[in-house]
Amino acid sequence: MEQQILEFDDGIPGFPDARRFQLVELVDDGAFQLLQSVDDPDLAIVVAVPWLFFSDYAPELTDVDQDGLGIESEEDAVVFCAVTLESDRRTAHMNLLGPFVVNVKSRKGRQIVLTDQDYPIRALLPLGVS
Amino acid sequence: MLVLSRRAGESIVIGNDVVITILEVRGGQIRVGVDAPRNLAVHRAEIYEQVLAENRAAAASTDLQASILSTKATGLRLQDPTRSAE
Repeated sequence: MEQQILEFDDGIPGFPDARRFQLVELVDDGAFQLLQSVDDPDLAIVVAVPWLFFSDYAPELTDVDQDGLGIESEEDAVVFCAVTLESDRRTAHMNLLGPFVVNVKSRKGRQIVLTDQDYPIRALLPLGVS
Repeated sequence: MLVLSRRAGESIVIGNDVVITILEVRGGQIRVGVDAPRNLAVHRAEIYEQVLAENRAAAASTDLQASILSTKATGLRLQDPTRSAE
């Protein structure tokens, strides 16, 4: 999906004016990508596909979010989650509460807040290597 | 801030297409129904604030985070069964 412009019409929490992003590979065939703002070069968030780390992750989109994104089946959706590195530079967390969901056909995206599904906002990433 | 008193069953209309209805008042808790257009996200404030703060943390010193994580990713690929099978 890199090189494609992803449109987040509502922005994302904390960055309401950031509407257009690109997904950029950090390294070839690596686990992490950069969700890079097209309009603000200083705004970028490291993301990864959650199932690489949490195979039983099963976010449920509400009808409102599905309709808003025009997602009709699972194949329409790409999901990635923000990754933050702790200041000790050894541990990292993934935001499973607020995944980014993109409709692969329309390139429309939203950061979904999963209400009542008990997913942590800071799930410890089992990196295992340093 | 505009302050209004409402009873259970009564509503507040915001603009032309947002209706907030007080469904139930019991003890210290109030159940609220929100009718809003589908393009309007409705969140519990404390959860929204958490996501906002986490986004800001994720967007801070991204270059450093990216370089360290991409280094770690080399070893990570070896550990990930879905990728090592390819």
